[in-house]
Amino acid sequence: MTDVSPSPALRVEGITKTYGSSRALSDVSFEVAKGRVHALVGENGAGKSTLVKIVTGIIGADHGKVFLGGKPVRFHNPVDARRAGLAAVYQDPKLFPHLDVAENITMGNAPVGRFGMLDRKQMYALSQAAFDELGVSLDPHALTAGLSVAEFQFVEIARAIISDLQLLILDEPTSALTPAEVEKLFRIVRDLRDQGKSVMLITHRLEELDLIADDVTILRDGAHVGTYPVSEVTRADIVQKMVGRPLDSLFAQRTPGNAGAEALRVEGLGLAGQFSDVSFSIRAGEIVGMAGLVGSGRSEIAQSCFGMTPPSRGEVYLNGKRVKPRSPRQMLGLGLAYLPEDRDAQGLIMAESIMANVTLPIVGELARLGVLDTAAQRAVAEEALATYDVRATGIDQIVSLLSGGNRQKVAFARWLATKPSVLILDEPTHGIDVGSKAQVHHIIARLADTGLAILVISSDLPEVLAISDRILVIAEGELVDDIEAATATQETIMMAATRSTGETVNVG
Amino acid sequence: MSAENAVIAAAAPRRSFGRFALKLRVSGVVAFLVILGAIFAVLSPQFLNAQNLSAIVSNAAILSIVAAAQAVVLITRNLDVSVGSIMGFAAYLTADFAAQHQGIGPILILMPMIIGGMLGALNGLLVAYGKVSPLIATLGTMSIYRGLTYLYARGQEVTSNMLPRWMLETVDLRVGGFPVLVILAVVVVAILGAFLRFFPVGRRIYAVGSNPVASAYFGLRTERIVLLAYVICGVLCGLAGFLYAARVGTVTVILASGWELTSLAAAVVGGVSVTGGSGLVAGAALGAVVLATIDNGLVLLRVPEFWRMFIQGSAIVGAATADVIIGAQIRKSLQSRRRGTI
Repeated sequence: MTDVSPSPALRVEGITKTYGSSRALSDVSFEVAKGRVHALVGENGAGKSTLVKIVTGIIGADHGKVFLGGKPVRFHNPVDARRAGLAAVYQDPKLFPHLDVAENITMGNAPVGRFGMLDRKQMYALSQAAFDELGVSLDPHALTAGLSVAEFQFVEIARAIISDLQLLILDEPTSALTPAEVEKLFRIVRDLRDQGKSVMLITHRLEELDLIADDVTILRDGAHVGTYPVSEVTRADIVQKMVGRPLDSLFAQRTPGNAGAEALRVEGLGLAGQFSDVSFSIRAGEIVGMAGLVGSGRSEIAQSCFGMTPPSRGEVYLNGKRVKPRSPRQMLGLGLAYLPEDRDAQGLIMAESIMANVTLPIVGELARLGVLDTAAQRAVAEEALATYDVRATGIDQIVSLLSGGNRQKVAFARWLATKPSVLILDEPTHGIDVGSKAQVHHIIARLADTGLAILVISSDLPEVLAISDRILVIAEGELVDDIEAATATQETIMMAATRSTGETVNVG
Repeated sequence: MSAENAVIAAAAPRRSFGRFALKLRVSGVVAFLVILGAIFAVLSPQFLNAQNLSAIVSNAAILSIVAAAQAVVLITRNLDVSVGSIMGFAAYLTADFAAQHQGIGPILILMPMIIGGMLGALNGLLVAYGKVSPLIATLGTMSIYRGLTYLYARGQEVTSNMLPRWMLETVDLRVGGFPVLVILAVVVVAILGAFLRFFPVGRRIYAVGSNPVASAYFGLRTERIVLLAYVICGVLCGLAGFLYAARVGTVTVILASGWELTSLAAAVVGGVSVTGGSGLVAGAALGAVVLATIDNGLVLLRVPEFWRMFIQGSAIVGAATADVIIGAQIRKSLQSRRRGTI
């Protein structure tokens, strides 16, 4: 395998990173060749972003080495990396909105003239030259606050090329761009490649591979699956390699119960800039999964239904009656509960006891003459502890001391204390161990059997397939598929979620 | 190709809008000042005479230096509520020193600035390196610095006859018809403004407040920059304390207490954003003129003194609210533009 070809632009060797008990990356090794565009793909949580953070010095790896241009490097921060010729542009570019474009481009190594004063003329000239080289027409004098996401990225790239750039990393650059802007970005990427520079592109849009990438590296569950020339793999191969893990045997397949009357129906739901024209319905006793990539708008749709960010368009029907979601308080009162993804920050009060958390949404009902009935509160909490099998020392235990899975159960108990008829769960098993996961699935199934309509948002495809009766797939703020779980596969969902429709897939 | 051009064309008005909105805050202060002046001029015939206008800017001069100092800290997304105590401490120590060394010349002016710089540095160390919330840290030092002044003074005060004559006379001088205090304030604010605008460090002060997360990615030494902002603030407060002492003649332990609120009001009214990254020291100085004008107008109209606090507080709340509303409007308009291109 070893040859005498010039050393690669980037080589990672045996990169391993663990967070607590979960392994974000295990023994990842691959190379990015000089003068090529290298795509990095994988499902949500496959470890792509962690890898970028390690390479650019934002976080350190537990094990492994990084080589830049053949030399071993260990960056302590992104500035070191940039000095060595490695620059990264993130999904949400990090710039200074109050300063002008040229100031952003030159911040940190601005040209200075007499008395150590800024050489503004030179600053604008440098920036203009960078834009000319990129073929971008942006005014270096413009205030950064007014730029679009694409323009933010052009500023970041301009910033990268004014120093000696060897490798440019683009972290999902196209997710917020218009087709015209993507076209422009790709033209810039090709130009950089033709100048002999390397570009590493992290993307979810597989159709972009054919357009721009020379090589592709696939990560799955923190492990390196393979690196191939794009011309030698089909898109279907890539998808299969991305999701190729076996269905977890712990995920008991759901046997759909008897669905009842329609509990939640949304029609043409839209929120400016977030999602549009989303229509679906959920019946009592039904579990509907909602799949899609991170940032596709799944949580936003749920939060709109819950009244956190009221929809700007469309209609919501709850148990046959039309409602206008205005606030979570109102929707809870009407029987719709939403369990947020970041339950530690949004769903639970960490410093409070289990009892306080479970009874918080219903303290009003538990009060007599405005005074809290402590006995009733204790009774509700005790019952919840038993029902949801929370492993705790008692109802007075502080929530922050519980494990992730048990916290999730407390969060369940808390929202179910409001006796909703529709329950929306956002990534209910994110970050909890496999054993607790199965328990949470069991609870979800049991709740559906008692007649609740449940919408489960999850990035865990095997989970979605195992627990849902029906699956909605969201891509870029639109509902792109509504399929029976029995006929769906990870591949079909992934294809829909990455908008790779119209392509015939051969899955074994 | 045409689609590409359309994107660029759509970008043009958006850009000028962002800049316009930020400029609006400063020009808004000027407009507010003009309207305020017009109202007072109509209500009171004395308002517009030269002597009165001169009194207004004289009264505003020292506050404008403190407001500019406060602005530097605000721009870094921090806050200094100890400015009044720094002024008092620096002024009292300097005045006491001058009383005991009668022959001392204008070199004396360095003393309050050095003291102020040291007190500012302590604030900066607490906030930047100790990671104490700026409000809590400087609320604490506000009390500490004032307490130390009390301990040092032991119930005494320094009266005007104990101070060097040049000190008292210089602040009342006029140069070319302008009060020397006003000239000094303009020079200080101009130098500070130029420092922030034309030197790399100045731009970093804005950068840190504009986006602290990005600062780290850009390799800016955030802690050092915040410390510097507090030191600048302290030095200027020391200077302002000295000028104030010279102006009133009698230096007591409560000198400049309450100025933390007044300086904050002036800076915020002058368009300095409390959320960092935005505002001009010249705006803060103009804010001081606005407050002085309100004060003056209320006196002329014989409005009871007690209304001053109420109006000052309202000015802070009003200006900060306006900031939030304008900010939200800008975001909204940017978002709708963006949606338009998708």
